[in-house]
Amino acid sequence: MSRSLVAILSTIAVIAVAATGEPADPKLKVGVVHLGSVNDGGYNQAHADGIAVMKKNLPEVEVIQVENVAEGADAERVMENMIRQGARLIFAASFGYLEPALRVAQKYPDVKFVHPGGYKRLPNVTTYWASTPEAFYLMGMAAGKTTKTNKIGYVVALPISFFLANVNAFELGARAVNPKVETRVVFTGTFLDRGKEATAANALLDQGVDVLGVIVDSPITVVQVAEKRNAYAVGFHSLAAQKFAPKGWITGVAFTWGNLYTRFARQVMEGTFKSENILGSLKDDFLTLAPFGPAVPADAVGVVNTRKDEFAAGKAHPFQGPLRDNKGVERVKAGEAFPLTDLAKMDWLVEGVIGQPR
Amino acid sequence: MSDAFALRYPRAEALARFLGLLAFALAVFAAVLLLFGKNPLRAYVDVFASTLGTAYGWSETIVKMIPLMLTALAVAIPGRIWLINVGGEGQLFIGALAATGAALYLAFLPGWLLPVVMAGAGALGGGLWAAASGFLHARGWVSETISTLLMNYVAVLLVSFVVFGPWKDPEGVNYPQTAEFVPAAILPTLGTTRIHLGLVFALAALVLWALVMRRTRWGLEVRAIGGNAEAARRTGIPIGRYVVVLMFIGGGLAGLAGMAEVSAIQGRLRPSLSPGYGYSGFLIAWMARGHPAGIVAASFGLAVITAGGDILQMTQAIPGSVVNILMAVMLFVVLGRQGARR
Amino acid sequence: MAALVRSLLSGAVLSGTPLLYATLAELISERAGVVNLGLEGVMLVGAVSGFIAAFHTGSASVAIVVAALAGGVFNMVFAYLVLARRANQLATGLALMFCGVGLSALMGVRYVGSQITGLPEHDPLVYGAVPLAGLIWWVLRSTRWGLTVRAVGENPVAAFAAGRDPHVLQYQALFVAGLLGGIAGAHLSLGVARTWSEWMTAGRGFIAVALVIFARWHPLRAVGGALLFGGAISLQLSMQARGVPISPFILDMLPYLLSLAVLAVGRGAHRHAAPGSLGRVFQGTP
Repeated sequence: MSRSLVAILSTIAVIAVAATGEPADPKLKVGVVHLGSVNDGGYNQAHADGIAVMKKNLPEVEVIQVENVAEGADAERVMENMIRQGARLIFAASFGYLEPALRVAQKYPDVKFVHPGGYKRLPNVTTYWASTPEAFYLMGMAAGKTTKTNKIGYVVALPISFFLANVNAFELGARAVNPKVETRVVFTGTFLDRGKEATAANALLDQGVDVLGVIVDSPITVVQVAEKRNAYAVGFHSLAAQKFAPKGWITGVAFTWGNLYTRFARQVMEGTFKSENILGSLKDDFLTLAPFGPAVPADAVGVVNTRKDEFAAGKAHPFQGPLRDNKGVERVKAGEAFPLTDLAKMDWLVEGVIGQPR
Repeated sequence: MSDAFALRYPRAEALARFLGLLAFALAVFAAVLLLFGKNPLRAYVDVFASTLGTAYGWSETIVKMIPLMLTALAVAIPGRIWLINVGGEGQLFIGALAATGAALYLAFLPGWLLPVVMAGAGALGGGLWAAASGFLHARGWVSETISTLLMNYVAVLLVSFVVFGPWKDPEGVNYPQTAEFVPAAILPTLGTTRIHLGLVFALAALVLWALVMRRTRWGLEVRAIGGNAEAARRTGIPIGRYVVVLMFIGGGLAGLAGMAEVSAIQGRLRPSLSPGYGYSGFLIAWMARGHPAGIVAASFGLAVITAGGDILQMTQAIPGSVVNILMAVMLFVVLGRQGARR
Repeated sequence: MAALVRSLLSGAVLSGTPLLYATLAELISERAGVVNLGLEGVMLVGAVSGFIAAFHTGSASVAIVVAALAGGVFNMVFAYLVLARRANQLATGLALMFCGVGLSALMGVRYVGSQITGLPEHDPLVYGAVPLAGLIWWVLRSTRWGLTVRAVGENPVAAFAAGRDPHVLQYQALFVAGLLGGIAGAHLSLGVARTWSEWMTAGRGFIAVALVIFARWHPLRAVGGALLFGGAISLQLSMQARGVPISPFILDMLPYLLSLAVLAVGRGAHRHAAPGSLGRVFQGTP
């Protein structure tokens, strides 16, 4: 017999012999689908850290995590494979997974799905998000007090309404303490392209900005560029980014999903899960303002904390009218406020922000 | 293998050699996994169990094969006269773009007509995109390898442009995607699986191509050009015309793949339409040397491997893109062997 | 106005440097008669190797050397298949790309969020890029080695008849190409982004293949081409930073369309510029 035939047969034999048994059944199996890498110091890491907290709180839960899953056809297959492996709760942890998740959810009505940032639901699908404009407003205040050139730059992935709302709130907060501040926005066109983020950050710094904010999956690149060029940085998504900018860090906002995720898992185990649209804020425990860095002046801290309490008490609102967009059109009348539940409809940038919400 | 066996059963011997090469590739990949501290046997078991161990797994494998077979044909058909079409990806995107245009602007058409129009648009779009490169080659201005490669980028950027701009979904929080297609625009699927009508396109194209090449006068002329272009030209065959036509057909099939993906799988146009189907198709066509049966087999193999990547992440904590190494090693082994035989 | 030009230029230089190294790598390879579509994979292997070396040693110079060597060795896989086994260049190149993507992902899996010091403010790779292009131009036109490499690329049979072994020269050229490709990747991970993530080259290796054609296989024109492409990337981001409403995607298309136009219009010149045996590999008589 030929050597190649022997090779084939032995390979098959070894594979057959190597099959091992199944592990014991845990109380609940959870599947998590990530768009990027869990070490990105940003969006994906925040989800992964939340899952880790959930695991610590509920040791009887088993977790299957898959990273770098492209949105679209692959996402559906991954979710379905997780369900076939026994998962009964699926975290579809990226905006673009909404429709794949809804399709799979329709096929498996007994499996529960949670989706961050979604705007459509089914009886077994819950959407959740932390409303970040208040936090961005506060960060803007800190930045407004820290900037020396009165120019702020924001590197943003895509002109999604939630992100536009964040930038708007930031500028409004900065203006509240420093009326001369203006913010420039650059969109890289994708959630993760480190080369483009670095180029965008440098282009903004060349324009004279001295504070860089970032809304992409991983803030590390932009924060590093800021630190290298002696600018200030404002982080997002995860607190891990602070160590990349020891001198220039102003503050950041992080998602701390741990307790929320624990609640989800408990609900599924106890059978009390029901579909809802959860919109949290700074008051809840899934949004945290990062500690201020050394560059932030002392009087800023007091101002920020005062406004924070006002938000919590309902006495202030980040989008208090009158507000005009950067083309001069009035968007919010005097005496009114743009409701935080309607952020999906905010497709404009406020006066003072230079950029195109294409 | 004894020489007598090889002489009497050349096909079996060739197959056995081919499988031996693949086994070698599997062994190399196993060694790579071991080097990084992973268990290759468990990895292989998981991959095969998930892709071929269940009916669902089989159905997903077939779903992945559909665009691969079409893009492979997009390379194999012009390849018959030694044209190198590296532009399958771009042709796929343009096909998807054209089909999306039809879906968005002709949504009022009845349910039996709309998909037909979309398919026609997709094939036309992809075909013209490729034919342009064919034209440039026929005139002797630019090699088709280069022009199809460059046109890939333009096509992808064009899709991004419409999705971020004029065709952006007005309902969808400003996210870069088009509006959802009406139900009439979605290709029907088989039962509860995701296997869609695109499978019929692919199989029909394969069969038609095989028949045309073997049984028609036109196929004879194509083979003549492929055999000896100069001699064919002397007998009066208009080579330039064949160049453009074959590129058009190839591009049309890739465009059809794009239409099928956007209609049956995605339901709307997004920049993340294709994970490189055009390039995978090129590799498949080369592995199979353009033979229809080989294309089906190689598409199957590639589909299994890429689908298996997810499982490896789930059960082995191996990054999913590692299956690219296995794919590459298999290709190296097969391509190395092909070359040496010349 | 001056500020804008300065900003654009610095952006073009920063984005264009990895492109230039990659283009020079592909240029040498193609001058020797070999097309490598897998440059993307070589760049990724270089990028991750350099990043890991920088992380563990803290030295940027060590990192660059490691990245270059990694790229060179990785490209030898391609060289072996294409030269010794006479595999199809285009298909093998694409396979090399897939291999590089997977291999770099596997190597880099533990380093995704890691922090390194990276290249210094006065980036030696940026300063060295244009002189390198000049050096390569000089080598290809004035040194024995360079002229022989070009002869092999033009007409391997004639080179063989003149007593040179084409394969040895092609191996050497591909090794050098691998070194440069590795450096290109390293600049991306150590200089531009200072981080690692899967497939971070995002198609720059393919752009380099287009750039070689755009530059009509001339190293000095490659500098202009890399600046142009790098500039296109930074131009649209700069335009945004200034609030100018041009679609970035249309801007990004221009370099490719321009390349095609240049090739189509200059068809005579293009014929003369391309190395004669590109795409075909020499097989000598035993």
